[in-house]
Amino acid sequence: MLSARDIHRHFEGMHAVDGVSIEVMPGRITGLIGPNGAGKSTLMAVLAGTLPASSGTIVFQGEDITPLPAYQRARRGMVRTFQLPSEFSQLTVLENLLVAAPDNRGESLLGALLGKRYWMPDETRLVAQARGLLKRFGLSAKESDYAGTLSGGQKRLVEIMRALMLGPRLLLLDEPMSGVHPSIVDEIAGYLEQLRDDGLTILMVEHELHIVDRLCDPVIVMAQGKVIGQGSMTALRRQPEIVEAYLVG
Amino acid sequence: MNTYYAANLLIFAGVDIIACLALNLQFGVSGVVNFSFIVFQAAGAYAAAVLSMPPDTAPDYSFQIYVGGYQLPFPLPWIGGAVAGALLALPIGLVVLRRLRADYQAIALLVTSIIANTVINNARPLLNGAAGLALVPQPLDGVVNTNTNSYQYLFIGLTAICVAIVWFLSARIVNSPYGRTLRAMRENELAASALGKNPTALKMTTFVVGGAIAGLSGAILVGFLQVWAPSTWLYPETIILFAAVIVGGRGNNVGAILGALLVPVGFEEVTRLLGRMNIGPPNLIPALEWVCIGLLILGFLWFRPKGVVPEQRRVFPGAPAVEEQTRWVIGKGAR
Repeated sequence: MLSARDIHRHFEGMHAVDGVSIEVMPGRITGLIGPNGAGKSTLMAVLAGTLPASSGTIVFQGEDITPLPAYQRARRGMVRTFQLPSEFSQLTVLENLLVAAPDNRGESLLGALLGKRYWMPDETRLVAQARGLLKRFGLSAKESDYAGTLSGGQKRLVEIMRALMLGPRLLLLDEPMSGVHPSIVDEIAGYLEQLRDDGLTILMVEHELHIVDRLCDPVIVMAQGKVIGQGSMTALRRQPEIVEAYLVG
Repeated sequence: MNTYYAANLLIFAGVDIIACLALNLQFGVSGVVNFSFIVFQAAGAYAAAVLSMPPDTAPDYSFQIYVGGYQLPFPLPWIGGAVAGALLALPIGLVVLRRLRADYQAIALLVTSIIANTVINNARPLLNGAAGLALVPQPLDGVVNTNTNSYQYLFIGLTAICVAIVWFLSARIVNSPYGRTLRAMRENELAASALGKNPTALKMTTFVVGGAIAGLSGAILVGFLQVWAPSTWLYPETIILFAAVIVGGRGNNVGAILGALLVPVGFEEVTRLLGRMNIGPPNLIPALEWVCIGLLILGFLWFRPKGVVPEQRRVFPGAPAVEEQTRWVIGKGAR
Protein backbone atom coordinates (compact mmCIF):
# COMPACT_ATOMS: atom_id res chain seq x y z
CA MET A 1 0.00 0.00 0.00
CA LEU A 2 2.70 2.48 1.10
CA SER A 3 6.39 2.07 0.64
CA ALA A 4 8.93 4.60 1.90
CA ARG A 5 12.53 4.13 0.88
CA ASP A 6 15.56 5.72 2.53
CA ILE A 7 13.70 8.76 3.81
CA HIS A 8 15.81 11.57 5.24
CA ARG A 9 14.58 14.78 6.80
CA HIS A 10 17.16 17.22 8.12
CA PHE A 11 16.59 20.42 10.08
CA GLU A 12 19.64 22.68 10.06
CA GLY A 13 21.97 19.68 10.26
CA MET A 14 19.83 17.74 12.75
CA HIS A 15 18.77 14.39 11.30
CA ALA A 16 15.19 14.03 12.51
CA VAL A 17 14.58 11.16 10.09
CA ASP A 18 17.73 9.40 9.01
CA GLY A 19 17.40 6.83 6.24
CA VAL A 20 14.07 5.27 7.21
CA SER A 21 12.51 2.58 4.99
CA ILE A 22 9.11 1.16 5.88
CA GLU A 23 6.31 -0.81 4.26
CA VAL A 24 2.65 -0.45 5.21
CA MET A 25 0.57 -3.50 4.35
CA PRO A 26 -3.08 -3.15 3.28
CA GLY A 27 -5.88 -3.97 5.70
CA ARG A 28 -3.71 -3.74 8.81
CA ILE A 29 -2.96 -1.27 11.55
CA THR A 30 0.78 -0.69 11.49
CA GLY A 31 2.15 0.79 14.71
CA LEU A 32 4.96 3.31 14.84
CA ILE A 33 6.49 3.58 18.29
CA GLY A 34 9.61 5.00 19.86
CA PRO A 35 10.80 7.39 22.55
CA ASN A 36 10.18 11.14 22.36
CA GLY A 37 12.35 12.71 19.67
CA ALA A 38 12.66 9.45 17.74
CA GLY A 39 11.36 11.15 14.57
CA LYS A 40 7.94 9.45 14.42
CA SER A 41 5.85 12.58 13.94
CA THR A 42 8.38 14.00 11.48
CA LEU A 43 8.17 10.77 9.48
CA MET A 44 4.36 10.99 9.51
CA ALA A 45 4.56 14.59 8.30
CA VAL A 46 6.96 13.60 5.52
CA LEU A 47 4.74 10.68 4.47
CA ALA A 48 1.67 12.93 4.42
CA GLY A 49 3.49 15.67 2.53
CA THR A 50 3.14 18.25 5.26
CA LEU A 51 6.94 18.36 5.36
CA PRO A 52 9.01 17.70 2.26
CA ALA A 53 11.58 14.93 2.51
CA SER A 54 15.23 15.97 2.26
CA SER A 55 15.73 12.81 0.21
CA GLY A 56 14.13 9.42 -0.33
CA THR A 57 11.16 8.01 -2.22
CA ILE A 58 7.55 7.49 -1.18
CA VAL A 59 5.37 5.20 -3.28
CA PHE A 60 1.64 4.98 -2.57
CA GLN A 61 -0.40 2.36 -4.42
CA GLY A 62 2.26 2.04 -7.07
CA GLU A 63 2.61 5.79 -7.70
CA ASP A 64 5.66 7.83 -6.72
CA ILE A 65 4.11 10.60 -4.63
CA THR A 66 7.38 12.06 -3.30
CA PRO A 67 7.05 15.43 -5.08
CA LEU A 68 3.33 15.84 -4.34
CA PRO A 69 2.11 18.38 -1.76
CA ALA A 70 -0.09 17.29 1.14
CA TYR A 71 -3.39 18.18 -0.48
CA GLN A 72 -2.67 16.06 -3.55
CA ARG A 73 -1.69 13.08 -1.41
CA ALA A 74 -4.95 13.49 0.53
CA ARG A 75 -6.89 13.49 -2.73
CA ARG A 76 -5.23 10.18 -3.61
CA GLY A 77 -6.55 8.66 -0.40
CA MET A 78 -3.76 9.16 2.12
CA VAL A 79 -5.20 11.22 4.96
CA ARG A 80 -3.51 12.19 8.19
CA THR A 81 -4.55 13.42 11.61
CA PHE A 82 -2.31 15.48 13.84
CA GLN A 83 -0.59 15.01 17.18
CA LEU A 84 -2.36 18.10 18.55
CA PRO A 85 -6.10 18.51 18.03
CA SER A 86 -6.60 20.20 14.68
CA GLU A 87 -10.35 20.68 14.53
CA PHE A 88 -11.78 23.71 12.76
CA SER A 89 -12.85 25.22 16.04
CA GLN A 90 -15.29 27.87 14.77
CA LEU A 91 -17.06 25.39 12.51
CA THR A 92 -19.68 23.03 13.86
CA VAL A 93 -18.96 19.32 14.13
CA LEU A 94 -21.10 18.61 11.07
CA GLU A 95 -19.33 21.36 9.11
CA ASN A 96 -15.96 19.86 10.09
CA LEU A 97 -17.04 16.65 8.40
CA LEU A 98 -18.56 18.37 5.37
CA VAL A 99 -15.38 20.36 4.71
CA ALA A 100 -13.54 17.12 4.11
CA ALA A 101 -16.07 15.68 1.69
CA PRO A 102 -14.93 15.61 -1.93
CA ASP A 103 -17.30 15.83 -4.90
CA ASN A 104 -19.39 18.77 -3.73
CA ARG A 105 -20.22 21.01 -6.67
CA GLY A 106 -20.37 24.01 -4.35
CA GLU A 107 -16.70 23.57 -3.44
CA SER A 108 -15.49 25.76 -6.31
CA LEU A 109 -15.88 29.51 -6.72
CA LEU A 110 -17.98 29.02 -9.83
CA GLY A 111 -20.15 26.44 -8.10
CA ALA A 112 -20.66 28.79 -5.16
CA LEU A 113 -21.65 31.66 -7.46
CA LEU A 114 -24.14 29.45 -9.30
CA GLY A 115 -26.09 29.16 -6.07
CA LYS A 116 -27.85 26.64 -3.87
CA ARG A 117 -29.86 25.04 -6.63
CA TYR A 118 -26.60 23.97 -8.21
CA TRP A 119 -24.92 22.45 -5.16
CA MET A 120 -27.72 21.62 -2.73
CA PRO A 121 -28.24 18.03 -4.04
CA ASP A 122 -24.59 17.25 -3.29
CA GLU A 123 -24.83 19.00 0.06
CA THR A 124 -27.92 17.02 1.04
CA ARG A 125 -26.23 13.74 0.12
CA LEU A 126 -23.08 14.62 2.07
CA VAL A 127 -25.02 15.79 5.13
CA ALA A 128 -26.71 12.38 5.20
CA GLN A 129 -23.32 10.67 4.86
CA ALA A 130 -21.82 12.81 7.64
CA ARG A 131 -24.78 12.14 9.91
CA GLY A 132 -24.27 8.43 9.33
CA LEU A 133 -20.72 8.77 10.60
CA LEU A 134 -21.81 10.87 13.58
CA LYS A 135 -24.31 8.18 14.49
CA ARG A 136 -21.73 5.43 14.14
CA PHE A 137 -19.29 7.30 16.39
CA GLY A 138 -21.97 8.35 18.89
CA LEU A 139 -21.72 12.09 18.32
CA SER A 140 -25.07 12.82 16.67
CA ALA A 141 -26.15 15.06 19.54
CA LYS A 142 -23.08 17.23 19.01
CA GLU A 143 -23.56 17.92 15.30
CA SER A 144 -24.33 21.63 15.76
CA ASP A 145 -21.78 22.28 18.50
CA TYR A 146 -18.69 24.24 17.64
CA ALA A 147 -15.86 21.71 17.32
CA GLY A 148 -13.69 23.90 19.54
CA THR A 149 -16.02 23.24 22.49
CA LEU A 150 -15.66 19.44 22.41
CA SER A 151 -13.60 17.36 24.83
CA GLY A 152 -10.20 16.02 23.78
CA GLY A 153 -11.59 12.58 22.97
CA GLN A 154 -14.49 13.98 20.99
CA LYS A 155 -12.09 16.15 18.98
CA ARG A 156 -10.08 13.04 18.13
CA LEU A 157 -13.22 11.32 16.93
CA VAL A 158 -14.14 14.34 14.82
CA GLU A 159 -10.70 14.22 13.21
CA ILE A 160 -11.09 10.53 12.44
CA MET A 161 -14.61 11.02 11.06
CA ARG A 162 -13.39 13.99 9.03
CA ALA A 163 -10.68 11.83 7.51
CA LEU A 164 -13.24 9.11 6.77
CA MET A 165 -15.39 11.58 4.84
CA LEU A 166 -12.66 11.59 2.19
CA GLY A 167 -13.04 7.86 1.66
CA PRO A 168 -9.37 7.25 2.47
CA ARG A 169 -7.34 4.17 1.58
CA LEU A 170 -4.69 4.88 4.20
CA LEU A 171 -5.13 6.72 7.48
CA LEU A 172 -2.07 8.22 9.12
CA LEU A 173 -2.95 8.73 12.79
CA ASP A 174 -0.48 10.69 14.90
CA GLU A 175 -1.06 9.75 18.54
CA PRO A 176 -4.85 9.49 18.31
CA MET A 177 -5.09 8.76 22.06
CA SER A 178 -3.03 11.80 23.07
CA GLY A 179 -4.92 14.07 25.47
CA VAL A 180 -7.86 11.68 25.55
CA HIS A 181 -9.53 10.70 28.83
CA PRO A 182 -8.64 7.07 29.69
CA SER A 183 -12.30 6.09 29.64
CA ILE A 184 -12.50 7.11 25.96
CA VAL A 185 -9.25 5.47 24.86
CA ASP A 186 -10.75 1.98 24.63
CA GLU A 187 -13.76 3.40 22.81
CA ILE A 188 -11.55 4.98 20.15
CA ALA A 189 -9.53 1.76 19.93
CA GLY A 190 -12.77 -0.11 19.29
CA TYR A 191 -13.65 2.24 16.44
CA LEU A 192 -10.19 1.77 14.91
CA GLU A 193 -10.62 -2.01 15.08
CA GLN A 194 -13.93 -1.68 13.26
CA LEU A 195 -12.30 0.44 10.56
CA ARG A 196 -9.53 -2.12 10.14
CA ASP A 197 -12.09 -4.90 9.91
CA ASP A 198 -13.84 -2.86 7.22
CA GLY A 199 -10.61 -3.05 5.20
CA LEU A 200 -9.07 0.35 5.96
CA THR A 201 -5.28 0.53 6.25
CA ILE A 202 -3.89 2.54 9.17
CA LEU A 203 -0.42 3.69 10.14
CA MET A 204 -0.51 4.90 13.71
CA VAL A 205 2.00 6.61 15.98
CA GLU A 206 1.09 5.72 19.55
CA HIS A 207 2.63 5.84 23.01
CA GLU A 208 -0.02 3.78 24.80
CA LEU A 209 1.60 0.35 24.56
CA HIS A 210 -1.51 -1.56 25.60
CA ILE A 211 -3.28 0.02 22.64
CA VAL A 212 -0.39 -0.87 20.33
CA ASP A 213 -0.53 -4.42 21.74
CA ARG A 214 -4.23 -4.59 21.04
CA LEU A 215 -4.39 -2.99 17.60
CA CYS A 216 -1.09 -3.02 15.78
CA ASP A 217 0.59 -5.70 13.76
CA PRO A 218 3.25 -5.14 12.62
CA VAL A 219 4.92 -2.54 14.82
CA ILE A 220 7.84 -0.38 13.70
CA VAL A 221 10.22 0.92 16.36
CA MET A 222 12.15 4.16 15.80
CA ALA A 223 14.93 5.75 17.82
CA GLN A 224 17.14 8.70 16.94
CA GLY A 225 15.63 9.02 13.50
CA LYS A 226 16.21 5.40 12.48
CA VAL A 227 14.14 2.23 12.39
CA ILE A 228 15.65 -0.09 14.98
CA GLY A 229 13.22 -2.97 14.61
CA GLN A 230 9.89 -4.18 13.34
CA GLY A 231 7.55 -7.11 13.81
CA SER A 232 4.82 -8.09 16.22
CA MET A 233 4.94 -6.70 19.75
CA THR A 234 5.62 -10.22 21.02
CA ALA A 235 8.65 -10.54 18.74
CA LEU A 236 9.89 -7.05 19.58
CA ARG A 237 9.76 -7.76 23.30
CA ARG A 238 12.27 -10.55 22.72
CA GLN A 239 14.87 -8.14 21.27
CA PRO A 240 17.00 -6.73 24.13
CA GLU A 241 18.14 -3.59 22.26
CA ILE A 242 14.54 -2.59 21.56
CA VAL A 243 13.46 -3.32 25.11
CA GLU A 244 16.34 -1.20 26.31
CA ALA A 245 15.59 1.63 23.86
CA TYR A 246 11.88 1.88 24.43
CA LEU A 247 9.98 -1.01 25.93
CA VAL A 248 11.44 -0.91 29.43
CA GLY A 249 8.59 -0.98 31.90
CA MET B 1 -28.99 68.27 5.63
CA ASN B 2 -28.45 69.44 2.04
CA THR B 3 -28.58 67.14 -0.95
CA TYR B 4 -24.86 67.26 -1.61
CA TYR B 5 -24.02 66.28 1.99
CA ALA B 6 -26.55 63.43 1.94
CA ALA B 7 -25.24 62.19 -1.41
CA ASN B 8 -21.69 62.45 -0.11
CA LEU B 9 -22.57 60.37 2.93
CA LEU B 10 -24.52 57.73 1.02
CA ILE B 11 -21.88 57.30 -1.68
CA PHE B 12 -19.08 57.04 0.86
CA ALA B 13 -21.20 54.52 2.76
CA GLY B 14 -21.68 52.51 -0.44
CA VAL B 15 -17.98 52.56 -1.27
CA ASP B 16 -17.04 51.57 2.29
CA ILE B 17 -19.62 48.77 2.34
CA ILE B 18 -18.23 47.36 -0.91
CA ALA B 19 -14.67 47.64 0.43
CA CYS B 20 -15.58 46.02 3.76
CA LEU B 21 -17.39 43.16 2.02
CA ALA B 22 -14.21 42.51 0.03
CA LEU B 23 -11.97 42.73 3.07
CA ASN B 24 -14.35 40.50 5.00
CA LEU B 25 -14.05 37.90 2.27
CA GLN B 26 -10.27 38.03 2.47
CA PHE B 27 -9.64 38.61 6.16
CA GLY B 28 -12.89 37.68 7.90
CA VAL B 29 -13.74 34.52 5.98
CA SER B 30 -10.42 33.33 4.56
CA GLY B 31 -7.96 34.61 7.17
CA VAL B 32 -5.78 36.48 4.66
CA VAL B 33 -4.52 39.55 6.52
CA ASN B 34 -4.37 41.86 3.52
CA PHE B 35 -2.64 44.95 4.86
CA SER B 36 -2.26 46.19 1.28
CA PHE B 37 -6.01 46.29 0.66
CA ILE B 38 -6.02 50.01 -0.10
CA VAL B 39 -3.58 49.42 -2.97
CA PHE B 40 -6.25 47.46 -4.83
CA GLN B 41 -8.81 50.19 -4.25
CA ALA B 42 -6.24 52.68 -5.56
CA ALA B 43 -5.53 50.50 -8.61
CA GLY B 44 -9.24 50.48 -9.43
CA ALA B 45 -9.45 54.24 -8.98
CA TYR B 46 -6.44 54.96 -11.19
CA ALA B 47 -7.62 52.51 -13.84
CA ALA B 48 -11.11 54.01 -13.92
CA ALA B 49 -9.61 57.49 -14.08
CA VAL B 50 -7.28 56.89 -17.02
CA LEU B 51 -9.94 54.88 -18.84
CA SER B 52 -12.44 57.72 -18.60
CA MET B 53 -10.11 60.73 -18.98
CA PRO B 54 -8.96 62.08 -22.35
CA PRO B 55 -5.23 61.87 -23.21
CA ASP B 56 -3.03 64.20 -21.19
CA THR B 57 -2.39 66.19 -24.35
CA ALA B 58 -6.02 67.31 -24.46
CA PRO B 59 -6.84 70.92 -23.63
CA ASP B 60 -7.65 71.35 -19.90
CA TYR B 61 -5.70 68.15 -19.10
CA SER B 62 -2.21 69.13 -20.21
CA PHE B 63 -1.24 70.30 -16.70
CA GLN B 64 -0.91 66.65 -15.67
CA ILE B 65 0.96 63.64 -17.01
CA TYR B 66 -0.49 60.13 -17.08
CA VAL B 67 -0.59 56.96 -19.12
CA GLY B 68 -3.73 56.05 -21.02
CA GLY B 69 -6.52 58.53 -21.45
CA TYR B 70 -9.01 56.46 -23.42
CA GLN B 71 -12.27 58.35 -22.80
CA LEU B 72 -14.22 55.11 -22.52
CA PRO B 73 -17.95 55.44 -21.86
CA PHE B 74 -19.58 54.38 -18.60
CA PRO B 75 -19.64 51.61 -17.26
CA LEU B 76 -16.37 50.52 -18.88
CA PRO B 77 -14.17 52.56 -16.49
CA TRP B 78 -15.85 50.93 -13.48
CA ILE B 79 -15.48 47.47 -15.01
CA GLY B 80 -11.88 48.36 -15.84
CA GLY B 81 -11.33 49.37 -12.22
CA ALA B 82 -12.51 45.96 -11.03
CA VAL B 83 -10.36 44.19 -13.62
CA ALA B 84 -7.33 46.26 -12.59
CA GLY B 85 -7.81 45.25 -8.93
CA ALA B 86 -8.03 41.60 -9.94
CA LEU B 87 -5.03 41.76 -12.26
CA LEU B 88 -2.90 43.46 -9.62
CA ALA B 89 -3.84 40.74 -7.15
CA LEU B 90 -2.31 38.07 -9.36
CA PRO B 91 1.39 39.04 -9.16
CA ILE B 92 1.16 40.22 -5.55
CA GLY B 93 -0.65 37.05 -4.55
CA LEU B 94 1.77 34.81 -6.39
CA VAL B 95 4.72 36.42 -4.61
CA VAL B 96 3.22 36.74 -1.14
CA LEU B 97 0.71 33.92 -0.70
CA ARG B 98 2.58 30.89 -2.01
CA ARG B 99 5.47 30.35 0.35
CA LEU B 100 5.17 32.74 3.28
CA ARG B 101 3.59 31.91 6.62
CA ALA B 102 0.44 33.88 7.48
CA ASP B 103 2.19 36.38 9.78
CA TYR B 104 4.90 37.06 7.22
CA GLN B 105 2.24 37.43 4.54
CA ALA B 106 0.70 40.26 6.58
CA ILE B 107 4.08 41.99 6.90
CA ALA B 108 4.86 41.52 3.20
CA LEU B 109 1.48 42.97 2.23
CA LEU B 110 1.99 45.98 4.50
CA VAL B 111 5.37 46.58 2.89
CA THR B 112 3.77 46.19 -0.55
CA SER B 113 1.35 48.96 0.32
CA ILE B 114 4.15 51.31 1.34
CA ILE B 115 6.23 50.47 -1.74
CA ALA B 116 3.29 50.96 -4.12
CA ASN B 117 2.45 54.34 -2.63
CA THR B 118 6.06 55.47 -2.74
CA VAL B 119 6.48 54.39 -6.36
CA ILE B 120 3.32 56.12 -7.58
CA ASN B 121 4.18 59.17 -5.50
CA ASN B 122 7.56 59.55 -7.16
CA ALA B 123 7.08 58.20 -10.69
CA ARG B 124 5.33 61.23 -12.11
CA PRO B 125 5.11 60.08 -15.77
CA LEU B 126 2.91 57.16 -14.71
CA LEU B 127 0.01 58.78 -12.86
CA ASN B 128 1.13 62.35 -12.23
CA GLY B 129 3.01 61.52 -9.03
CA ALA B 130 2.15 63.18 -5.73
CA ALA B 131 -0.14 65.74 -7.34
CA GLY B 132 -2.38 62.92 -8.53
CA LEU B 133 -5.08 63.00 -11.16
CA ALA B 134 -7.72 65.71 -11.39
CA LEU B 135 -10.76 66.46 -13.54
CA VAL B 136 -11.68 62.76 -13.72
CA PRO B 137 -14.97 62.67 -15.64
CA GLN B 138 -17.98 61.49 -13.69
CA PRO B 139 -19.97 58.51 -14.99
CA LEU B 140 -22.25 59.47 -17.89
CA ASP B 141 -20.54 62.86 -18.14
CA GLY B 142 -21.61 64.32 -21.47
CA VAL B 143 -24.68 62.11 -21.58
CA VAL B 144 -26.48 63.75 -18.66
CA ASN B 145 -25.93 67.00 -16.79
CA THR B 146 -23.69 66.10 -13.85
CA ASN B 147 -24.24 69.39 -12.02
CA THR B 148 -27.78 68.74 -10.88
CA ASN B 149 -29.37 67.21 -7.78
CA SER B 150 -30.88 64.48 -9.91
CA TYR B 151 -27.38 63.42 -10.98
CA GLN B 152 -26.52 62.99 -7.32
CA TYR B 153 -29.48 60.62 -7.00
CA LEU B 154 -28.39 58.82 -10.16
CA PHE B 155 -24.90 58.36 -8.72
CA ILE B 156 -26.38 57.06 -5.47
CA GLY B 157 -28.49 54.64 -7.50
CA LEU B 158 -25.48 53.38 -9.48
CA THR B 159 -23.54 52.90 -6.24
CA ALA B 160 -26.49 51.07 -4.69
CA ILE B 161 -26.64 48.72 -7.67
CA CYS B 162 -22.94 47.92 -7.20
CA VAL B 163 -23.48 47.37 -3.47
CA ALA B 164 -26.35 45.00 -4.25
CA ILE B 165 -24.30 43.04 -6.80
CA VAL B 166 -21.30 42.74 -4.46
CA TRP B 167 -23.56 41.77 -1.55
CA PHE B 168 -25.27 39.12 -3.68
CA LEU B 169 -21.99 37.60 -4.86
CA SER B 170 -20.40 37.76 -1.40
CA ALA B 171 -23.42 36.09 0.18
CA ARG B 172 -23.28 33.29 -2.37
CA ILE B 173 -19.60 32.72 -1.64
CA VAL B 174 -19.77 32.97 2.15
CA ASN B 175 -22.85 30.75 2.53
CA SER B 176 -21.70 28.01 0.15
CA PRO B 177 -19.56 24.90 0.66
CA TYR B 178 -16.75 26.95 -0.90
CA GLY B 179 -17.16 29.56 1.85
CA ARG B 180 -17.09 26.77 4.42
CA THR B 181 -13.77 25.60 3.01
CA LEU B 182 -12.42 29.14 3.21
CA ARG B 183 -13.46 29.31 6.87
CA ALA B 184 -11.81 25.94 7.52
CA MET B 185 -8.59 27.25 5.96
CA ARG B 186 -8.84 30.31 8.21
CA GLU B 187 -9.16 28.06 11.26
CA ASN B 188 -6.37 25.62 10.44
CA GLU B 189 -4.56 25.81 7.13
CA LEU B 190 -2.43 22.72 7.75
CA ALA B 191 -5.42 20.57 8.60
CA ALA B 192 -7.30 21.87 5.55
CA SER B 193 -4.42 20.91 3.27
CA ALA B 194 -4.33 17.46 4.89
CA LEU B 195 -7.96 17.10 3.78
CA GLY B 196 -7.19 17.73 0.14
CA LYS B 197 -7.69 21.49 0.07
CA ASN B 198 -5.13 23.60 -1.80
CA PRO B 199 -4.56 26.60 0.49
CA THR B 200 -2.57 28.57 -2.08
CA ALA B 201 -5.28 28.25 -4.72
CA LEU B 202 -7.98 29.14 -2.19
CA LYS B 203 -6.06 32.20 -1.00
CA MET B 204 -5.26 33.30 -4.54
CA THR B 205 -8.90 33.07 -5.55
CA THR B 206 -10.11 35.07 -2.57
CA PHE B 207 -7.29 37.54 -3.13
CA VAL B 208 -8.24 38.08 -6.78
CA VAL B 209 -11.99 38.28 -6.09
CA GLY B 210 -11.38 40.67 -3.18
CA GLY B 211 -8.99 42.66 -5.37
CA ALA B 212 -11.66 43.02 -8.06
CA ILE B 213 -14.25 44.22 -5.55
CA ALA B 214 -11.72 46.62 -4.00
CA GLY B 215 -10.94 47.93 -7.47
CA LEU B 216 -14.63 48.53 -8.12
CA SER B 217 -14.91 50.49 -4.87
CA GLY B 218 -12.00 52.67 -5.98
CA ALA B 219 -13.56 53.22 -9.40
CA ILE B 220 -16.81 54.42 -7.81
CA LEU B 221 -14.92 56.67 -5.43
CA VAL B 222 -12.83 58.36 -8.10
CA GLY B 223 -15.93 58.82 -10.23
CA PHE B 224 -17.49 60.76 -7.39
CA LEU B 225 -14.46 62.67 -6.08
CA GLN B 226 -13.04 63.34 -9.58
CA VAL B 227 -9.54 63.47 -8.08
CA TRP B 228 -7.16 60.76 -6.92
CA ALA B 229 -3.68 61.10 -5.44
CA PRO B 230 -1.26 58.98 -3.35
CA SER B 231 -2.21 60.96 -0.22
CA THR B 232 -5.73 59.46 -0.42
CA TRP B 233 -4.55 55.88 -0.20
CA LEU B 234 -1.85 55.76 2.45
CA TYR B 235 -1.54 52.42 4.24
CA PRO B 236 -3.40 53.57 7.40
CA GLU B 237 -6.57 53.72 5.30
CA THR B 238 -6.44 49.91 5.28
CA ILE B 239 -6.38 49.94 9.08
CA ILE B 240 -9.68 51.83 9.14
CA LEU B 241 -11.26 49.11 7.02
CA PHE B 242 -9.80 46.41 9.26
CA ALA B 243 -11.27 48.27 12.23
CA ALA B 244 -14.64 48.24 10.48
CA VAL B 245 -14.58 44.48 9.86
CA ILE B 246 -13.37 43.74 13.40
CA VAL B 247 -15.97 46.03 15.00
CA GLY B 248 -18.82 44.83 12.79
CA GLY B 249 -17.96 41.15 13.14
CA ARG B 250 -15.51 39.31 10.94
CA GLY B 251 -16.69 36.40 8.87
CA ASN B 252 -20.19 37.59 8.09
CA ASN B 253 -21.44 40.10 5.55
CA VAL B 254 -23.94 41.76 7.89
CA GLY B 255 -21.11 42.49 10.30
CA ALA B 256 -18.98 43.91 7.49
CA ILE B 257 -21.77 46.26 6.42
CA LEU B 258 -22.46 47.34 9.99
CA GLY B 259 -18.74 47.92 10.52
CA ALA B 260 -18.57 50.03 7.35
CA LEU B 261 -21.42 52.20 8.62
CA LEU B 262 -20.03 52.48 12.15
CA VAL B 263 -16.35 53.11 11.51
CA PRO B 264 -15.39 54.70 8.16
CA VAL B 265 -18.71 56.49 7.79
CA GLY B 266 -20.04 57.09 11.32
CA PHE B 267 -16.77 57.50 13.16
CA GLU B 268 -15.20 59.76 10.57
CA GLU B 269 -18.34 61.86 10.29
CA VAL B 270 -18.41 62.41 14.05
CA THR B 271 -14.77 63.45 14.11
CA ARG B 272 -15.34 65.67 11.08
CA LEU B 273 -18.17 67.44 12.84
CA LEU B 274 -16.04 67.77 15.99
CA GLY B 275 -13.33 69.31 13.80
CA ARG B 276 -15.74 72.02 12.74
CA MET B 277 -16.35 72.94 16.38
CA ASN B 278 -12.78 74.31 16.64
CA ILE B 279 -11.80 72.26 19.68
CA GLY B 280 -8.10 72.59 20.55
CA PRO B 281 -5.26 72.98 18.02
CA PRO B 282 -6.09 72.41 14.32
CA ASN B 283 -4.67 68.88 14.10
CA LEU B 284 -5.97 67.66 17.43
CA ILE B 285 -9.16 66.02 16.18
CA PRO B 286 -7.56 64.18 13.18
CA ALA B 287 -4.78 62.95 15.48
CA LEU B 288 -7.28 61.83 18.09
CA GLU B 289 -9.22 60.07 15.36
CA TRP B 290 -6.28 57.73 14.74
CA VAL B 291 -5.84 57.17 18.47
CA CYS B 292 -9.51 56.29 18.76
CA ILE B 293 -9.38 53.89 15.78
CA GLY B 294 -6.44 52.13 17.40
CA LEU B 295 -8.24 51.94 20.73
CA LEU B 296 -11.37 50.72 18.97
CA ILE B 297 -9.49 47.81 17.42
CA LEU B 298 -7.75 46.95 20.69
CA GLY B 299 -10.97 47.25 22.67
CA PHE B 300 -12.91 44.97 20.39
CA LEU B 301 -10.11 42.41 20.09
CA TRP B 302 -9.90 42.34 23.87
CA PHE B 303 -13.52 42.55 24.99
CA ARG B 304 -15.56 41.46 21.97
CA PRO B 305 -13.31 39.74 19.46
CA LYS B 306 -16.24 38.46 17.43
CA GLY B 307 -17.54 42.00 16.86
CA VAL B 308 -21.01 43.50 17.21
CA VAL B 309 -22.57 40.85 14.95
CA PRO B 310 -20.64 37.60 15.45
CA GLU B 311 -20.32 35.03 12.70
CA GLN B 312 -23.45 32.89 12.77
CA ARG B 313 -23.45 29.22 13.62
CA ARG B 314 -24.60 27.11 10.68
CA VAL B 315 -27.31 24.68 11.73
CA PHE B 316 -28.63 22.22 9.19
CA PRO B 317 -32.32 21.24 8.91
CA GLY B 318 -33.10 18.22 11.04
CA ALA B 319 -30.28 18.91 13.52
CA PRO B 320 -30.77 18.37 17.24
CA ALA B 321 -31.93 21.51 19.10
CA VAL B 322 -29.32 24.20 19.65
CA GLU B 323 -29.52 26.28 22.80
CA GLU B 324 -28.45 29.60 21.32
CA GLN B 325 -31.29 31.57 19.75
CA THR B 326 -29.32 33.18 16.95
CA ARG B 327 -28.33 30.75 14.29
CA TRP B 328 -28.22 30.32 10.57
CA VAL B 329 -30.29 27.60 9.02
CA ILE B 330 -28.81 26.34 5.77
CA GLY B 331 -31.25 26.86 2.97
CA LYS B 332 -33.62 28.98 5.06
CA GLY B 333 -31.60 32.02 6.12
CA ALA B 334 -31.37 33.45 9.64
CA ARG B 335 -33.99 32.72 12.25
